[in-house]
Amino acid sequence: MIRPSAVFTLTLLFSAALAAQTPPAAPTPPGGAPANPPAAAAATAGAPAAAPAAEAVGDPAKGKDLTRMCEGCHGIEGWRTAFPEVYHVPKIGGQHAKYIAAALHEYKNGDRSHPSMRAIAGSLSDQDIANLAAYYAQGVPPTMSAKQ
Amino acid sequence: MMHPRKLPLLVAVAALAPALAFAADLNAGQAKVKEVCQACHGLDGNSTVADYPKLGGQYPDYLMKALRDYKSGARKNPIMAGFAATLSDKDIENVAAYYSSQPPTLAPRY
Repeated sequence: MIRPSAVFTLTLLFSAALAAQTPPAAPTPPGGAPANPPAAAAATAGAPAAAPAAEAVGDPAKGKDLTRMCEGCHGIEGWRTAFPEVYHVPKIGGQHAKYIAAALHEYKNGDRSHPSMRAIAGSLSDQDIANLAAYYAQGVPPTMSAKQ
Repeated sequence: MMHPRKLPLLVAVAALAPALAFAADLNAGQAKVKEVCQACHGLDGNSTVADYPKLGGQYPDYLMKALRDYKSGARKNPIMAGFAATLSDKDIENVAAYYSSQPPTLAPRY
C-alpha cells in the first residue's frame, strides 16, 4: 500500500512536471504585464495558502509599471463598476500599503470576490502585490485647493 | 466669500449627490461610528494603523457594499464580520455617509 504522504509528494512532482511542460502561453492580463511563470505557481502550491511566508518589501517604481492593469478603473475619478453590482470603484491613492496588499491577497485567494479583481490579483506574484501597494500608498491626498 | 468660478461646481455636486445623501443621517452615522468603528478607523476615518484602511472621503456606495459583504459573509474577515453583524441596513447607510463626508484622505484617482 502506498502511504498518503508518498501520494502527496508524487502529486506535487507530477504537477510540477506538468507545469514545466506547459508552453509559455500563460494568459497575459490586460495591460500586458507578465503573468507568473506556471512553474512558480506549482512550486508554491504545496505551501499553506495563507499569507506569504515573508512579507515582501515593495518597490513603488516597479509597482508603477504594473498600474496599467489598474488605472482603467482606479485611475478614473468617479468610475463605477458595471458588474455584478454597480458602485464606485474605491479610491486607493494614499491608502495604507498593508491594507492594499491584504486586499489583493484576499482577491487572489478567493476571500474577496469581484470578477475582474480576482482575475487581476490572480496574475500577480507576492512581490508584484507588494510593489503595487507601495506605489499606491504614496498617493497624495487631494486638497481643497486642488485644481478642479 | 465663495469664488464665483466654484459656483457651477457646487451646483453640480448638489445635483449629482446621490439620493442617499439626503436619506442618510450623518449625526446618527457619527454616533454609530463612535460606538463601533472609531477605535480602529478613527473618528474621521483617517486610520493611522496600517492594518485598517482609511475611509474618510471614500465613496459611500463602496463603503456600503463592503459592510454588506462583511455582514453577509461574501467578504471574509473575522473582525469586520463581527462589527458589521451589529449594523442594520440603516446603520450601514448612515455610517457610510458619515465617513464619506469626512475630509478626504484618499486620492480620487492616481
